[in-house]
Amino acid sequence: MKEFLKGNYKVDTEIKETVADERSQLETEFERKALSRLGGSICFVSKKSFIWNGDQEQGEAKSGAGKEDRPDA
Amino acid sequence: MELGKKIARTLERATFERIAAGGLANAELNQPSIGRSVLELGAEALGDGDAALVVAAGPSLRRRRSLERLRASGFRGTIVAADGALGACLRAGVVPHVVVSVDPHRGRIVRWFGDPALTAAPADDYFRRQEMDAAHSSDELGANQVLVELVNRHGPAIRAAVATSAAPEVTARCAQAGMALYWWNPMYDDYDAADSLSRRLHRMNGLPCINGGGNVGTAAWVLAHAVLGKRRVGIVGMDLSYTPDTPYEKTQYYPELVELFGDGFKDAFIHMENPALGETWFTDPAYYWYREVFLQMAGEAGCETYNCTEGGLLFGPGIHTVPLEDFVQAVGTGS
Repeated sequence: MKEFLKGNYKVDTEIKETVADERSQLETEFERKALSRLGGSICFVSKKSFIWNGDQEQGEAKSGAGKEDRPDA
Repeated sequence: MELGKKIARTLERATFERIAAGGLANAELNQPSIGRSVLELGAEALGDGDAALVVAAGPSLRRRRSLERLRASGFRGTIVAADGALGACLRAGVVPHVVVSVDPHRGRIVRWFGDPALTAAPADDYFRRQEMDAAHSSDELGANQVLVELVNRHGPAIRAAVATSAAPEVTARCAQAGMALYWWNPMYDDYDAADSLSRRLHRMNGLPCINGGGNVGTAAWVLAHAVLGKRRVGIVGMDLSYTPDTPYEKTQYYPELVELFGDGFKDAFIHMENPALGETWFTDPAYYWYREVFLQMAGEAGCETYNCTEGGLLFGPGIHTVPLEDFVQAVGTGS
């Protein structure tokens, strides 16, 4: 993990990463990858509209189609 | 909290991890074929009135003979099928107006459309193991050949609402069968975020992003009301769970759950009673998450949702549970 942490100053105390920390990170990574295999076939993005078609005004299309019928939270 | 429900809470992020890379890669491969936007479907005459019926591929579709009853009902509204239900629809003589496909998997999903290239039963037991389409579980090659012919025959009458994440094998198969393709992007993440993938994808191809709800059946329901503008949407075959007598080994995520939890995999399943049926069905973390997401979305949708599945675990606020014939009669498009 240390190789990813960069700073623009020096600290006096040397921070030692314990073996337990390393193992915990590896386990978290494994868990994350394992759980991803249980996911669905398309994302769900909570608190967002049903349709997003860019930032232009979302006018109501013919027959009411194509409009965002769920307000942003 | 039960293990299964605890896992379900992680699946919004996990689904992104699972499908974003493959979906975006497919979007690039599909780019040369992309033409019409799915929003153009809203202007087309697809069935009568303001009602649609979404057909998903859960076990109740067969148990309740939903398609045979649908055909007998004379329903004249719009029929939107999830890709996994297309074969069952065509075998029952129901030609959907629209079929929806989203999953990026490059080997499996084309089978729902009949894979002309399939010459031997594959090692992957995905289709044999599950009950989503029982025809595939007994004779994979024979069922595939029948489906190839049915899709070829009816393809020109079907619009395919394909996500850019869909495998190129699927989009090519739809085009080969004569389907008109209408494209959309899956919403991958918050389009308001600075580094949003959804926003980048929209910039690349100009297509709308649709919030899919985790699975193709829910995406079909979103399409029915948010794209087609239907105000009364019925659903059949959306169990989001397994029948009480289904062996754990026949469930969709069984291999993954065993790999994760070993002998303790059973703890990840969630058992619930359907109050309308008085039956206890069970679900896994993924299907439970789909259920939670659907209930959230149904509460915010601009349509009335009628679950005519007559099975499964999709019930709750914002969803009317009714027999199929009652829905058809209520929307006034029965014969």
